[in-house]
Amino acid sequence: MSAVPIEGVAATSEAVAALRERGGVEVEFRGLHRSFGDVHALDGLDLKVEPGELIALLGPSGCGKTTALRVLAGFEVPDAGEVLVDGVDVLGVSANRRDMGMVFQAYSLFPHLTAVDNVAFGLRVRGRAAAARRARAQELLELVGLGEHGRRYPHQLSGGQQQRVALARALAVEPRVLLLDEPLSALDAKVRVQLREEIRRLQLELGITTVFVTHDQEEALSLADRVGVLRSGRLEQCAAPDELYTRPATAFVAEFVGTMNRIPGELHADGLVSVLGQKLAALDAGDRQPGVGVDVLVRPEVVEVTADAEGTGRVITRTFHGAMTRVRVGLGTGTEVLADLPSVDAGELSPGATVALRLADRGVLVADPLS
Amino acid sequence: MTETLDRGAGAPSTGAAAPRRRRPHRGKALAWLAVLPFFVVVGVFFFLPAGVLFFDAFRITDPDTQVTRFGLDNLEQASKGGYRTAFMGSIKLSVVTAVLGAVLGLLLAQAVVTARRGNLLRRLVLTASGVLANFGGVPLAFAFIATIGNAGVITALLKDAFGYDLGSSLYSFSGLALVYLYFLVPLMVLVIVPALDGLRPQWHEAAENLGATRWQYWRHVGGPILAPPVVGATMLLFCSAFAAFATAAAMVGSTVPLVTLQISDVLSGNVLAGQENVGKALGLGMVAVIAVVMTVYVLVQRRTSRWFR
Amino acid sequence: MSARRRPAIWRWVVLVLLGVYFLVPLVASFWFTIDDRRRGGLTGEYYTGIVGAEGFLPAFGLSMRLALLTILITLALMIPTILVVHLQLPRLRPVVELITLLPLVLPPIALVVGVGSVLRWGPNELAGTPLGDFLVGLQDENMPWILVFVYVVLALPFAYRSLDAGIRAVDLHTLVEAARNLGASWPKVVWQVVVPVLRTSVLNAAFLTLALVLGEYTIARLLIFEPFSVWIVQISGSEAQLSVSVSVLSLALTWLLLIAVSSLGGRRGREATLRSL
Repeated sequence: MSAVPIEGVAATSEAVAALRERGGVEVEFRGLHRSFGDVHALDGLDLKVEPGELIALLGPSGCGKTTALRVLAGFEVPDAGEVLVDGVDVLGVSANRRDMGMVFQAYSLFPHLTAVDNVAFGLRVRGRAAAARRARAQELLELVGLGEHGRRYPHQLSGGQQQRVALARALAVEPRVLLLDEPLSALDAKVRVQLREEIRRLQLELGITTVFVTHDQEEALSLADRVGVLRSGRLEQCAAPDELYTRPATAFVAEFVGTMNRIPGELHADGLVSVLGQKLAALDAGDRQPGVGVDVLVRPEVVEVTADAEGTGRVITRTFHGAMTRVRVGLGTGTEVLADLPSVDAGELSPGATVALRLADRGVLVADPLS
Repeated sequence: MTETLDRGAGAPSTGAAAPRRRRPHRGKALAWLAVLPFFVVVGVFFFLPAGVLFFDAFRITDPDTQVTRFGLDNLEQASKGGYRTAFMGSIKLSVVTAVLGAVLGLLLAQAVVTARRGNLLRRLVLTASGVLANFGGVPLAFAFIATIGNAGVITALLKDAFGYDLGSSLYSFSGLALVYLYFLVPLMVLVIVPALDGLRPQWHEAAENLGATRWQYWRHVGGPILAPPVVGATMLLFCSAFAAFATAAAMVGSTVPLVTLQISDVLSGNVLAGQENVGKALGLGMVAVIAVVMTVYVLVQRRTSRWFR
Repeated sequence: MSARRRPAIWRWVVLVLLGVYFLVPLVASFWFTIDDRRRGGLTGEYYTGIVGAEGFLPAFGLSMRLALLTILITLALMIPTILVVHLQLPRLRPVVELITLLPLVLPPIALVVGVGSVLRWGPNELAGTPLGDFLVGLQDENMPWILVFVYVVLALPFAYRSLDAGIRAVDLHTLVEAARNLGASWPKVVWQVVVPVLRTSVLNAAFLTLALVLGEYTIARLLIFEPFSVWIVQISGSEAQLSVSVSVLSLALTWLLLIAVSSLGGRRGREATLRSL
């Protein structure tokens, strides 16, 4: 991970230098298990995070991503498994000595302290002198773009500003690992996008190993070096965003990340599946028997839609998304297919128009039909 | 607001302006009429007596000549001798019981709020507190008399079993304080539980994450955040103890000097002629003390409630 | 929380100690009332003897009449006031709220001093005038209206807080606007929207007032009337066990009332009750 300089921040800033010097450390989850009664929050999680990497833990609620993060931070104790930071098992270390910085979803700033005092808190608790810690806190506030707001109280700051202060506060203690628990979920859309870019730039500049938990796949895909998709306490796939998107390992990942169509088709003996009148290679037929009905999984952008009076589909809705237009086509069998195409080509595809669908000539994923 | 509601029901105001303008007025007039009884009752049965209290506190009637004048004599009298003792006694009792009640109530509230399988315990304690906070006065006094009074059940038990004679120790300053705690501790629990609930777990976790020990958390975060509500609650407890009359009257008679008992004495005619208005001065004094304490309470509340928005 | 589990001994110590402190007087009082001191063993005479005790029926009857009237008048005053203040005259709300807090600043013992003075104008300065007669009439032994009205003033803070909690909990303003938007007239709005929705708060306020009036001692004693609490103290000299048994019963009654109130509206009722206490 090469460090990327951040505009406007003095390259000689002590805080940045100190953080960079830390370097990234490796984090590893080994066989983590954690149950709450009958619920298996973590069901054998294995994951290794490279030094300096930003890894996103993505998944629906209840998938265990937050539990995993809290185990790492020390707020939860797993029933079984190990957590290694820089090669050393930290499970026996109490939360306040793990040397990690955490940013919570909301409301974590101490309401009775100013922004500067919030950021300086970790240093105060470590016994640093007042002047030194104030100075360091001020530097960090400038790093997150809030240099002039040091004297403000949390209730005088906007949501986005509060999260920046929380970030500065987490970084002030020069942690080995940075933990972010859905830090942007409570913010407005515009602020969210802006802040996530800044977090990423900061992380790259400092080279600190970061674990970012989110349920928003757009966030995960745009931010992370690698994304770990969790489901029911297990890791479904951990890969770079583009690989996750184009080569999902399981049907769950395929449907969770991005939009995925399910079109009924029939499996054939030679590893082919017939769908929409075409025959395509089935990438993961597994040991399914030929002749069985399967759902073919395709992304909207590989579905071609053309106006055709003898076509088998009818346009139900057409939604304009700027450069791209999404068309929802009904096949008359109850199946609906989403197709994305450049808006310039969508002129004749108004609701009610008869159209023909064609899939790109590539291998497709198949899944068992939903009951 | 009436305007919005009325216009919302009809066409824009371009047509029929005259009838539409009448309705808001009539609505408002009816509204004033509806609140009038409230103000009348409060005016006659609260403000009038209160006004008389304040007014008469400064009025002195010479018993021989029946001439009336205004001055501070009553107040002066009220601040001397037996009256002064009573005032100080009340303040002392209220301070002691308020502080004790606050500490015990805080401990109880914290024990209940942080309990793990605590839901049943919490509901039980909160409901019980709700009842006991209102259980003052005569029944409470008698309950304690029946327990550790001269002929009390526990008194007899201690004498028979351990040879320890409690005697009349209930009918004293400490006895009264013990009894007061019975409604002050629940009151504290009721008032402070919302503040404890307001201590977000994220603060504790963030502090821990940043390296704080339990002690450091309480010293730098939990303590400062809880201090204003706790101080405020203590003030409420003080006012409650200070204003109490029935409990003391049913229990101690005149053995413990309290300003409320003094006022009752004055009213019952147990004072020299011409001193009736001293009772009013005492009442005024009480109101002054309570008003000061409540003002501090409100100020503290206002400054620190901003944090929790 | 953190990785280690701390044994929370202190919590149990506190709960046990305070539990003992609160339970012992209750248990002891009950024991006191069933202990037969003359013949040994247990007796129920101090409970069965209540109704027939001298002065009980007039005193209890008086308290109940006072309570009923106080409740009716308090509600008749507060419900329209709080509605108007929330819906029509919002600028009046801080004024009304402040007024309802004032009885807490002026303790009953001080209030009764002023009340006593005003009442004495009746037979003295204002003797013979209609106002004077009114003041004397307020003190009629059989029906002391003065107590009713002073109790109304004392009940105001609780009634207001109770009704206010109920209104906030359901965002009455929005409900009323929606109803008006759908075409309901004001009387319909009050009957079909407001009253049902505030039913819990109203009952809440009623029960709290009942508990207040039954337990009120200060004003009654100093104005020399003899409702329930005053009667209890009167007989305590001669009939100690009876006075305690009556106290135990009145506590039990209050307890039942408050539990009834808090379970009326389920959780909402409970929170509203606690907030109004």
